[in-house]
Amino acid sequence: MAIKFEQVNFEYPSFDGYNFSALKDINLEIAEKGEFITLIGETGSGKSTLVQHMNALIRPTTGSVTIYGIKIEKDTKKKGKVKLNPLRQRVGLVFQFPEYQLFEETVLKDIIFGPKNFGVKESVAIERAKQVIKHVGLDEEYLKRSPFNLSGGEKKRVSIAGILAMEPDILVLDEPTSGLDPKGRDDLLKLFMGIHNDLNKTVIIITHDMNTVYKYASRVLVMNEGHLVYDGLPQELFSKENIKSWNLDIPDIITITRQLEDKLDVNFDRQPHTIQDLFELVKEVI
Amino acid sequence: MNIIEIKDLSFSYQDEIDALSNVTLSVKKGEWVSILGHNGSGKSTLSKLIIGLLKADSGEIKVDGVILNEESVHDIRRKIGIVFQNPDNQFVGVTVEDDIAFGMENLCFEQSDIIDKIKEYAEKVSMSEYLKKEPHALSGGQKQRVAIAGILAMKTDIIIFDEATSMLDPKGRESIMNYIKEINKAGVTVITITHDMKEAVLSDRIIILKEGRVIACGDTNDILNDKETLNSSNLELLLPLKLQYLLDEANLSNDKVKDILWQLSLNK
Repeated sequence: MAIKFEQVNFEYPSFDGYNFSALKDINLEIAEKGEFITLIGETGSGKSTLVQHMNALIRPTTGSVTIYGIKIEKDTKKKGKVKLNPLRQRVGLVFQFPEYQLFEETVLKDIIFGPKNFGVKESVAIERAKQVIKHVGLDEEYLKRSPFNLSGGEKKRVSIAGILAMEPDILVLDEPTSGLDPKGRDDLLKLFMGIHNDLNKTVIIITHDMNTVYKYASRVLVMNEGHLVYDGLPQELFSKENIKSWNLDIPDIITITRQLEDKLDVNFDRQPHTIQDLFELVKEVI
Repeated sequence: MNIIEIKDLSFSYQDEIDALSNVTLSVKKGEWVSILGHNGSGKSTLSKLIIGLLKADSGEIKVDGVILNEESVHDIRRKIGIVFQNPDNQFVGVTVEDDIAFGMENLCFEQSDIIDKIKEYAEKVSMSEYLKKEPHALSGGQKQRVAIAGILAMKTDIIIFDEATSMLDPKGRESIMNYIKEINKAGVTVITITHDMKEAVLSDRIIILKEGRVIACGDTNDILNDKETLNSSNLELLLPLKLQYLLDEANLSNDKVKDILWQLSLNK
């Protein structure tokens, strides 16, 4: 296991003494390879707090998170024995709106900033930049440009390239497609799928878009009021009764299938995955 | 009566191809119009031109009969409120009540009046319990509701929602869409700018922008019937519509199914 949560609780401290409990008794294992995970749940359910534990940006109030064999607990840092930098290199975390974090004069300098920080030689980092810029679907020529003259989508790609250049084993992205139109969203998701398939990395994505979950995820985690309430296949999630109480949407394809079953007074023998599947089913009944 | 009239409007950012070219459209008083288009279609540029945040290269914008120019821009801004996409970028107050007051203070409302109105409009968007809260204690949907309260308090005739729901979770999105419906029912002219056809079908009329041009403009029903335009718009089609098209192509459609899919498209 690359990452293991054991009975993790986390409280945000507050001045008035009533600490806010953001994570409650989380037990969870993430494999190093082969997983495409979506993490969902309404705003404030603990999703971002959870992923920030995955590279020890924050430490549990009680319980432990073991990342590549290194156990992180409340007082881990105070003991001073554990070096956190290697962990942060292995688990790459892309925050929401990463494009706001670009700051260098050129795209190249921005991309090599991370690896250099982790002790990679400049010449090696530059070679990596030339590779990763292609992985995110941009031309090598972009390396010379200023990040500030790029479009929003291009900036997002550059910031993801910066994380990829650190060669993390696991890539975690906090709402990477928020605010994008359907085409921009699909382009980015295909990019993450490519990273997952070609580079054989585990990818974890926080999202509110259930169509994304249904279409891409091999595993889905649901957070609700600090609890991990579901860990399993997306297909099974959307047939569960509790889904309404977790304030989650239903993917469009499932909604329309149910509505059609209702109005046509039929029961399809399987849940279609795409509109083409549904077309095949409807064909049989009209 | 048209409350907004736009004629031959063109705009380009420095040296680039036109973000908008020869846009002509109008919005009737009390109507709810959606401006639908993908990222980069020019829809946000259009909203910035209407409120005078950008200056057109050519063409004319008339709001409530007044031509938008340097002299009229301040008066026109009193008539139009705008809710932007990112809830964090528009929260200017230290607390919820400060934020609701901000617009009214700019319009020089009486202090006592402001205090009453904060209460009144916070209640309208169900934020009364949060008046002393700071923005970090609010969800995105709550911040957007605070923005709406601030605009409602200014009593503008027109409110533009510029992708105001695209960064919210499902619950937040639903609550904002419900407020939009209410506001429009109460007589405010509403323009929603979106790439989500599910949202657009709720409005009276749809204008589709593509590469800075108006490619379609009409009643929501007519637009949904215009297969060719929708297919060329680069928008993500509603699933019931996609299914209808597949059935049409296979010559399998019948009136019953067609009617059901139509109702589902309209979100009914």
